[in-house]
Amino acid sequence: MNILVILLLFGGLFFFTGGSIGILRFPDFYTRLHPAGKLDTAGQFLTMSAISLYIMQDFTLHTFLTATKIVLIVIFVYLTSPTATHAIMDAGVRAGLKPWTKAGRHDLAD
Amino acid sequence: MKTLGIIVVLLFGSLLIYCTLDFPPWGDPQAPASMHVSPRYIERTMQETSVPNIVTAVLADYRGYDTMFETVVIFTAGVACFFLLRIFGRIESESRMYRHIPTGITLRISKDAEPPRESREFERIDLAWVPYDVVVKTSCRIIVPFCQLFALYVIAHGHHSPGGGFQGGVILGASVILFAISNNMRLSFTRISEKMAVLLCGLGVLIYAVTGALGTLLGSNYLDYGALSRLFGVDPVTARSLGILFVEIGVGITVMAVIITLYYNLASAGRHDEGL
Repeated sequence: MNILVILLLFGGLFFFTGGSIGILRFPDFYTRLHPAGKLDTAGQFLTMSAISLYIMQDFTLHTFLTATKIVLIVIFVYLTSPTATHAIMDAGVRAGLKPWTKAGRHDLAD
Repeated sequence: MKTLGIIVVLLFGSLLIYCTLDFPPWGDPQAPASMHVSPRYIERTMQETSVPNIVTAVLADYRGYDTMFETVVIFTAGVACFFLLRIFGRIESESRMYRHIPTGITLRISKDAEPPRESREFERIDLAWVPYDVVVKTSCRIIVPFCQLFALYVIAHGHHSPGGGFQGGVILGASVILFAISNNMRLSFTRISEKMAVLLCGLGVLIYAVTGALGTLLGSNYLDYGALSRLFGVDPVTARSLGILFVEIGVGITVMAVIITLYYNLASAGRHDEGL
């Protein structure tokens, strides 16, 4: 069981690291929102499920309730994080920010 | 002017840093703060107030005056924001936006033209928020009730865990702001009007002050919740716990109402016609 928890934690950390690198390395606003929205949600899901599995090892009502709360956190982040990303994207489009293209950065200027 | 400012900042900054040298070291058991009051709080909070969270007991009971005037400070901030920003009298914007609901077409109507008659087919929309965003609207609709439920939990559970009136009030206010952002400000005015928000600002402080005054009326000191035992028919220790709960509810109402008032005034630049 502990091995599974460790694997899940490292998977989550992998996604978090990828998300952080992506935010730093991607070229423009829209592509940066992609790792910020998606990878953080995935990493959060994996780490949170690892924590709830770890807590559930000695199964009592108390630990079950704690694990349920953690699952609820996951559900709420799954609802809110994509919505927030969507809203920020929408705001970017409406403010007139052009997406980055491979052709060059002059697209951003006009 | 800028150099003068820097000189003043440096002077007072160095004075403050010089004064901190006289402070007792961090976590020193011989420091005055940990010699006199802290041991009493730590040892006797549970038997005196039956509140496991010592921070809540200190905040709302042992230092009740402090927290009451903190609430008054927040109330004053809300009222000051109201007086600074609120613009009375109608200032018509250059144009208005309407949406024809069955087709989703948006209309821009200039100031002088006749607006569409109030019917179910047209709704007025904000100039800055033209698109009809189903995703944001729907998920905020799901989130807001849970947000408010969590806020009530934070207020009521402040006795046992981190939380209390200030935090719960902020979450409650944030849920109303979320509602106002995801729909529009006019709809949130139908739920919590400006008048209601300002009245609630005062109501919270009133609840706090009346809970304190009840102690005086029942024959002990102001903000001594132990006196409420005669009112509720419980022992003084439980009465203290109950008094803390009432006070926290008052704080929560004030903080919520002030946050909402701040948002209403800031987001519409005091005009209260269109939000963000």
